[in-house]
Amino acid sequence: MKRMIRHYLAAVLAAAALLSAGLAAGAAPGVSECMDCHGDKTIEKTLPGGRTVSLYVDLQAYRSSVHGKGSCVTCHADATAPHEKLAKVSCGRCHGDADKSYAGSSHGKLRAKGVTDVPACYDCHGKHDIRKPKDPAARTFRLNIVATCLRCHMDRALEQKYDLPGQQVMIAYQQSVHGMASKKSGLTGSAVCVDCHGNHAILPGDEPRSATHRQKIPTMCGKCHPGILEKYEMSVHGKGMRAGIAESPVCTDCHGEHTISKVSDPNSPVFARNIPKTCSGCHENEAISTRYALPKKRFSSYMDSFHGIAVEYGMTKAANCSSCHGVHDILPSSDPASPVNKANLPKTCGKCHPNAGPNFAKGDVHVEVSPKKAMGVFAVRLFYTIFISALVVLFVLHVGLELYGRWNRRKENGPDGKEGQS
Amino acid sequence: MSRGDLAAVKVTRMSLLFRIQHLLLTVLLTVLAVTGFALMYHENSLAQWIIRLEGGVHNRGIVHRIAAVLLMANLVYHVFYMLFSREGKPELRQLFFTRRDFDDFLQSLRYNLGTAKEYPRFGKYGYKEKFQYWGASVGILLIGFTGFMLWAEEFSMVFFPKVVLDLALIVHGYQGLLGFVLLYLWHIYNVHLHPSVFPMNPSWITGKVSAEWLRREHPLEYEKLEEEGLL
Repeated sequence: MKRMIRHYLAAVLAAAALLSAGLAAGAAPGVSECMDCHGDKTIEKTLPGGRTVSLYVDLQAYRSSVHGKGSCVTCHADATAPHEKLAKVSCGRCHGDADKSYAGSSHGKLRAKGVTDVPACYDCHGKHDIRKPKDPAARTFRLNIVATCLRCHMDRALEQKYDLPGQQVMIAYQQSVHGMASKKSGLTGSAVCVDCHGNHAILPGDEPRSATHRQKIPTMCGKCHPGILEKYEMSVHGKGMRAGIAESPVCTDCHGEHTISKVSDPNSPVFARNIPKTCSGCHENEAISTRYALPKKRFSSYMDSFHGIAVEYGMTKAANCSSCHGVHDILPSSDPASPVNKANLPKTCGKCHPNAGPNFAKGDVHVEVSPKKAMGVFAVRLFYTIFISALVVLFVLHVGLELYGRWNRRKENGPDGKEGQS
Repeated sequence: MSRGDLAAVKVTRMSLLFRIQHLLLTVLLTVLAVTGFALMYHENSLAQWIIRLEGGVHNRGIVHRIAAVLLMANLVYHVFYMLFSREGKPELRQLFFTRRDFDDFLQSLRYNLGTAKEYPRFGKYGYKEKFQYWGASVGILLIGFTGFMLWAEEFSMVFFPKVVLDLALIVHGYQGLLGFVLLYLWHIYNVHLHPSVFPMNPSWITGKVSAEWLRREHPLEYEKLEEEGLL
C-alpha cells in the first residue's frame, strides 16, 4: 500500500514537471491562437526574390475541410506562437500509402530531385481547404479532376520544358466521349484522368508499372466496361494479348486513347465507314500478316467488293469487317464459334441476306483473284482481257489497212479516186 | 442522173422509229457506261468524282438501274419491231450473217492490200454493220442477264453460290468494257471518222443519206432502190 502511494506521488510530480517545462517553452498553440496572426488577411512574408506570399489562412475553409476538426499542430508540429519558418509539412506521416506511391511516380521522382514544377500533394489536394474526393467542392472531385490536372498539362511552357503530351491531346480528351460525359453531361461515371493514369502513382505508359502500360489497358478499360472486357478476353486478340504478344490489339488500338468518341461519330476509328481502315492497320501490314500467318489481301479484296465500295461511299448499312467477324469477340475462322466459320456463314450472311443459305456460302467471301484462290473469276477476267485486247488490235489493224488502201489508190488514181472505193 | 444530182438526192436509210430506238440506245448506253465504269474503276479519282457527281454510290445505282430498265424496254420493243413489224422484218432479214459476208470481208482485205480489183458490193448492211449489230446484241443480252442477277441479289442467292455472282459481276463489267470498245473504236470510226462519212453520217438524225454515198458504199442497196423506182 505504501509502495503504491509512493509510485502515485512520483507520477504526479513528473507530470507537473513536464507541464511546467512545456508552458515555459511556449506550449503547442490552439487554432484560435494561430488565427490571431494568420486570420489577418494582410499577413505576408517576402521571399528572397522579393515576391510576397500571403500567410493568411481562411478559417472557414479550414473548418469545413476534411482536417477541420483537428488542430494546426497536427501538421505543423513545430509551430509555436510566434514562430519563424516552419518545417515542411509531411502528409506521409498519416497518409503513408499515398506518400509511397507518389514517391514512385513521375511527379514524385522529379520532386525528390528538387524540381518544383511537378505537383506536390497540395497542388492537387489543396492546403488548408483539403476536402474528400467525394465532396463536389474538392479539387479531386471527379468532375473537378480534369481542371486540376490541366492547370499544368495545358501549360505550353511546362509542356515544352518537360516534353509533355501536347495541348491537343488534352483538348482531344475534353472533346472525347469521356470528356463530354463528365464536362457536358455532368456524369461522375465517366472516365477522368485518374481513372486511366492512376492518381498518386502516375507513370508514362511505356513503363511496365504504369497503369496505362499496354498490357494493362484491357483490364483498365474493363473497370468500367466489364462486359466488353469479358468478350475481349475470349477473342483471338485478347488471348494474344494475354499471351504476351505485344502486337495483339488492345482497346486503344482501335478506339484511340484521349480521342475516344462514340461509334456513331464519323470521326471515330470504329465508325462503320472507318472500320476497314482501322483493321487494315494490322491486317494489311505485310510484316504482321507474315509473322502470325494471317490470311492476306483481306483489306484490298474487301474494298473491291460491293460491301467495301458501298461503305467507302458512306452507305454504312453495308457490311464492314465487324459485321461478319464480330467486334470485341473476334475469333479465327477456324474456331467453330466464329461467325465466319464455314458452318456459321449462312447464318452470318443471313443477318442481312435472308436468302443466303448454305448453297450461297460456298466458296471464298474475300475474293483474291489468283489462279489458286479463285480460278473461275481469274480465268473469266483473263479471257476478257485477252479478248478485248485482241479485238482492239484487230480493229486498229482493219482501220489501218483501210486507210493504207485508200492512200495507195489515191496515189494511183488521183484525188477523185475510182468508184467503189472505201 | 449525173453524180452531182445523185449527191443531191436523199435516200431514207433509218426510219423514224428506228432512229428513236437508236437515239434511246445512245443516251442509255452512255448513262450506263458513265455510271457503270465509275463503279468498276472506283479507286480511280475521276471515277470517284463521277460518283460524287451522281450523288453517291447509292444514287449512282438508282440512275444505273433506271437506265437499265429503259434499255431493256427499248430492247423488248426492238425485238418485237424486228420480228413482227412491216418495217422491221425486212431489216432483220438483211442483217443475218451469210457466207457472203465472210467473202466480202476477205475481199475487202485483199482490195485494200491491192490484190483485188473490186471492193465488195454491199447490200444495205455490210459485214461491218452486221458485226456491230450482233456484237452489241449479244453484249446487251449478257449484260442484261448478269445485271438482273446482281440487281435481284436476294433472289439469286437462293439458287447460286457466291462464286456465280462473283462471275456475273466480272462478266457484267468486262462485257461492258467490250461493248464500249466496240462502240468507241468500231462504230464511231465507221459512222464518224471513216473518210466516206467524215465528220458524220447524218442518217442517225435526218434518217437520210445521199444516193451517191449509197451507190458507192452499198451498191446492191442502191440498185435495189433504183429497180423499185424509189430514187
